[in-house]
Amino acid sequence: MYELVNTNIEGQALFSIPFGDIVDYLTPYTAILFTFALVFTVIAIISKPERQVDIAFGGDAYYTKDISKKQMRFQRFMATACGLATMGGVLSGDVFNFTLFTAMVGIANIGIVASVKNKHILDNAFEYGILAMVGTMPLFGGAAIVLASTGTLSMWILFTPVVAVPLVAKLLLVIGVLAEGMAPVYVAKAEITRAPGAPYILMVHVSSLVMFLRVIEIVVSM
Amino acid sequence: MIPAFFSDYSLGLFIAFVCVIIAFYAMLKETDDLHRLLLTDLVEVVTLSIIALVGTDLAEALILPGLVVGIAEILAMSELYIEKESLFKIPENFLDIEVMETAPKILSSLMLLYGIVLSGFTGGAVAGLGLVFYFMCRKNSERTEILETVSGYAWALWVLAFIIFMTLPQYWFFAIILAGTGVFAKVAAKMTIVGTMRGGNDV
Repeated sequence: MYELVNTNIEGQALFSIPFGDIVDYLTPYTAILFTFALVFTVIAIISKPERQVDIAFGGDAYYTKDISKKQMRFQRFMATACGLATMGGVLSGDVFNFTLFTAMVGIANIGIVASVKNKHILDNAFEYGILAMVGTMPLFGGAAIVLASTGTLSMWILFTPVVAVPLVAKLLLVIGVLAEGMAPVYVAKAEITRAPGAPYILMVHVSSLVMFLRVIEIVVSM
Repeated sequence: MIPAFFSDYSLGLFIAFVCVIIAFYAMLKETDDLHRLLLTDLVEVVTLSIIALVGTDLAEALILPGLVVGIAEILAMSELYIEKESLFKIPENFLDIEVMETAPKILSSLMLLYGIVLSGFTGGAVAGLGLVFYFMCRKNSERTEILETVSGYAWALWVLAFIIFMTLPQYWFFAIILAGTGVFAKVAAKMTIVGTMRGGNDV
């Protein structure tokens, strides 16, 4: 039925789900990413939040930080949404859908981080959110230039050797995904990883990793 | 597959990217968090115009999701900003809306005037609604005795009108005016009571 032309990286399509023009598909490469995202989403759903233990230095005293049920619920919801968006982005066979899922991953990541009520973490989440908002420019701009220069957004056509996608569009797309899922940069700030949000904070890393691998595959195949 | 309008398109794209550079420069210079949040909207608008530049039906269909993403992000970020700066205002009143402080006088007087023009039952309802609105917005002390007085005069007018109908039928028009005014005052008073009888300290 549907056959991918360029099978250098991802291998032949395992199966595809056509929604009209938009044909979602899985290849061995994306299937691995999909399973990865799925497993971590399930972990986020079933596991209980980790309670941080602070030890008073120089003494025997220690205390665990309590996580309110409301915060736990919100973070779990956001982590699940983030996992679903990641899976959607991996499955997507359409550049614009991919960018939309990436933007959703960005919003969900802000949500996961921002649900921790701590001034430092909120400050970091705000910076990260500004970055994600600015990142929509290269992301959607890249997709728009792909559309303008090739006349299509379907990866099934874009991956054929006949269609040439300009380098600037690919570059913008990669920059956009970097900005949206760029948790690694901000994770360098200890506050976020120290946030009492495990295992939900995990989804931030998983989603950014998976989305990045996926965008590289798209850009190289185009 | 380069579209025919490519020269126009690349010119538009160039202008859009100049706008992007200006917006990014502004974001770089700005230090106030709230202003940076507002400036991101500038970037969003340029993004939408980059999509719109493509100028096809597909681009048109893509602007809407792009807009939704932008709005969703700015909403999330505004919430985050409020949380971050702990900018909470505990509402003193259930209906704490600023327009309800300023508008009621004008609106209720307009409705009252319009009610007088309409007269009769309809006019009474309109004027009464105006008064209800006024009393809902202003935390009034309930002064129902005024309404009782108004109601009494309305009854008197009505009775007078009926007497005129019975005794001097040639003055029917004057009687109708009297009766209409009576009904108007009556309905307005009743509607006002609907608005004010809300219980409280001074019932």
